[in-house]
Amino acid sequence: MAKGRELKGRIKSVEGTRKITRTMEMVATSKLKRAQDRVVAARPYAQSLAQVISDLYTPELAERFPLLRQPAQRSGGRAAVLLLASNRGLAGAFNSNLIREARGLIARLERAGTTVDLHAVGRKAIGFFRYTGRQLASTRTDIGDRPTVEHARELVEALMSDFIAERLDAVYVVYAKFNSAISTPPVAERVLPVTPPDGKGPARDYILLPSAETILSELLPLYVRNAVYRALVETVAGEQGARRTAMKNATDNAGDMLNVLRRTYNRARQAQITQEIAEIVGGAEAL
Amino acid sequence: MLKVSVISPERTLFDGDATQVVAPAYDGEVGILTGHAPMMALLGRGTLRVSESGGERRFSVEGGFLQVVDNHVRVVTEKATAS
Repeated sequence: MAKGRELKGRIKSVEGTRKITRTMEMVATSKLKRAQDRVVAARPYAQSLAQVISDLYTPELAERFPLLRQPAQRSGGRAAVLLLASNRGLAGAFNSNLIREARGLIARLERAGTTVDLHAVGRKAIGFFRYTGRQLASTRTDIGDRPTVEHARELVEALMSDFIAERLDAVYVVYAKFNSAISTPPVAERVLPVTPPDGKGPARDYILLPSAETILSELLPLYVRNAVYRALVETVAGEQGARRTAMKNATDNAGDMLNVLRRTYNRARQAQITQEIAEIVGGAEAL
Repeated sequence: MLKVSVISPERTLFDGDATQVVAPAYDGEVGILTGHAPMMALLGRGTLRVSESGGERRFSVEGGFLQVVDNHVRVVTEKATAS
């Protein structure tokens, strides 16, 4: 029964694949849990920082801070796009969504006559843009599952000083926003110039040590760095969420496929037995 | 009683009641007791001391700020470690 043996081989191989995807699903689930905790743990800091900045911020102060400098309304200029993607694939459309978002943003900027420097994090992003032949201003692949504030600092520090020195007019970060494990849409966020959080200006009569101006100038870089840190953390969580979903689907599909294959196999086996019996009976009758 | 939280980007290091907080502001230490006026202060580098009823907790901090509003003290700093 040549067909039977062939089917058996396919059943074996699908079973093997299902074992792998199921394991990857479980690994992603546990990594997701930890990544999610980090996203939650990062919230109080971001909120406190945003609140204080909005308490201190007044439009009159804005002109004095280089980080709040609005780009001059001229065509041209130079912008940096920092694309955060993952080092590994098998996460469904996760990386391609991020890359598409980044390309959309780059196309928009370039149409407006802006020169765009692309900084890519993650092997998948780097690989894609190498393939399309685009120059990358910088690349990083060493940020794994546990991004730190230090990573964020390294990524954004040079961009911040370029921005202050007016070599750059805007900095965007493209990352996966972590709404929940199943919703991780790619977003493009402008981190420089800083968009001050909505505020009604000084809400209370604070004693300010030393002054609103000095405090703001100290806190704005922290705010920018934290925006990048948050993007890193959310992207990692998003990657694990996307991978879990992708691997769950793969496991389910393998299960469906196995059912069909097993049914076909059993039917073929049965048909063969029936035929053999019929042959024996036919042979006995002929005697 | 003061409600105190010490927050770093990675996590909240401390969140609880305290009787007194001594923080390293940019130009020297500031002490905060119950009923302090609303204040916002830049932090320098040094040791943050939070006195609880049971004892004292210390954190080494660098940069960031301290905010006091209605007996809530919030220490927000990029570098903080319990020590």
